[in-house]
Amino acid sequence: MAKIKERYDGLVLGGGIAGMQASLDLAGQGYDVLLVEKEPSIGGVMVGLNKVFPTLDCSSCICTPRMAETAHHERITLQAYTEVEEIRREGDGFRVKLIKKPRYVVEEDCIGCSKCELACTILAPHEFDYGLGARGGIYIPHGNAIPQVAVLDPNYCIFDGACARACPTDCIDFTQLPEEVNVEVGAVIIATGLKVTPMNAKKEYGGGKHLNVMNPLAMERVQSSNGPYGHVLRPSDGKIAKSVAYVQCAGSRDKSIGVPYCSRVCCMYALKQGIMIKHHRHETEVTIYHMDIRAFGKGYEQFYRRAMAEGIRVVKAKVARITEEANQDLTLRVELIDEGGRVADMRHDLVVLSLGTIPGWRPNGRVPAETDDDGFFRIREVTTRPANSSRDGIFVAGVATGPKDIPDAIVEAGAAAMEAAMYLDRTWSRRAALVGAGVEA
Amino acid sequence: MSEAKRNWREDVKVFRERMGGLTEEKKAMSKDQRDTTKAIQGALKGGPRTVPEISAETKIPSHKVLWYIMAMKRFGKVAEAGQAGDYFRYELKEASS
Repeated sequence: MAKIKERYDGLVLGGGIAGMQASLDLAGQGYDVLLVEKEPSIGGVMVGLNKVFPTLDCSSCICTPRMAETAHHERITLQAYTEVEEIRREGDGFRVKLIKKPRYVVEEDCIGCSKCELACTILAPHEFDYGLGARGGIYIPHGNAIPQVAVLDPNYCIFDGACARACPTDCIDFTQLPEEVNVEVGAVIIATGLKVTPMNAKKEYGGGKHLNVMNPLAMERVQSSNGPYGHVLRPSDGKIAKSVAYVQCAGSRDKSIGVPYCSRVCCMYALKQGIMIKHHRHETEVTIYHMDIRAFGKGYEQFYRRAMAEGIRVVKAKVARITEEANQDLTLRVELIDEGGRVADMRHDLVVLSLGTIPGWRPNGRVPAETDDDGFFRIREVTTRPANSSRDGIFVAGVATGPKDIPDAIVEAGAAAMEAAMYLDRTWSRRAALVGAGVEA
Repeated sequence: MSEAKRNWREDVKVFRERMGGLTEEKKAMSKDQRDTTKAIQGALKGGPRTVPEISAETKIPSHKVLWYIMAMKRFGKVAEAGQAGDYFRYELKEASS
């Protein structure tokens, strides 16, 4: 791992697709970048997705090379498993305090062999598979993780030393503690991504208690060839799913849970997942219950038509409640809009809630940039400077400013990097040049 | 590689104390995992089974059986062995049987 320097031109918060792109675009212009990621691997949400819409390309096949390029770029220093404690304005730049979390593994020595995980006698719900799969108490975050370094979870450690005994490089270090890292940077790009609304937000949809009502990101893992099941099975008993329902706007456009806005990607991922379910098993019925289908991007309308041609049922309806039957099938009480509001009970064996997109990180005063009421970072001039936060020198990209799809997040990351480069050119680089010439800026 | 050899046996004792010791909750979790794995392996010694069949034989809830089967599959102890109706069958791999 590269040693952390005391000074960088740019700090990028978040190692998802937007953060990686912003880092690459800023570093590509000759600036030194520190990329900070709170998880043990970069890749964000995208590396866990099965396919991307509307091309149905393999998501990790696109994301993984970008991860490798980011990690190996000579001007990018990657600092994973690290949290931001404080970013404070100081002169033209910022003083940054980071906390590097202990992995209990010496990063430089770990060869990613997984022998520690195989030796571990404890199983834990795997975060990468949204709990549907298992991992050891010590584990490599996932097969495509970068860095490919193990992390020990003290919550699932029984202190028997099995991992240390199995490690061929003697890299398990039980003495590690959280480590404070202080750096000075000239500009900040915030690309902290997304989370989805909690499964228990809507009591009428089971409140997270029905095993066969799923999170859409968990369904991405279920559909992935390297996912927890390898097939589209229902979590209650491993039955092959034969009738799958999607409930749209199950956490968006809903003032009752504080998410009044449209999450922008749910219609498209529901159509995409529906197609992929058909590709797993053509006979499986897929029904999407929606208020309206929003297919606004390049090639999206054609993708919607394709989904219908592949047999996806798209039903304009509002789902009032979901109840679980004795055999753990699910009955959806729906109001069928195109049938004059007729109320019907529809039975399925698996249901996916198209949950709302919410901010992946809340600054809570740690960054001197403001957020809007919805928690997303405020943009100073929405129509003309969409990558500029409310503060000079702090730029924003991807879902940190609001829900968006992958192409839009990448475009915005490029814009943020360009804005940051121009800012650095006006302030930081000029100051460095003057200091270098013996003239205080 | 770091030069000094780590004394992990001593380090893990200190780590254990720092993390609040081996709690009753963790002991129970560890025992339950061992017992569940053993029961599922026992059922599979009778030949390939579906999740509901293992659940009926072991009295372990079917969602829990599925989770353990997928964990055992991931760690190379179990493999798929065809289908029975709407369910896949699973069998022990030779090395772990």
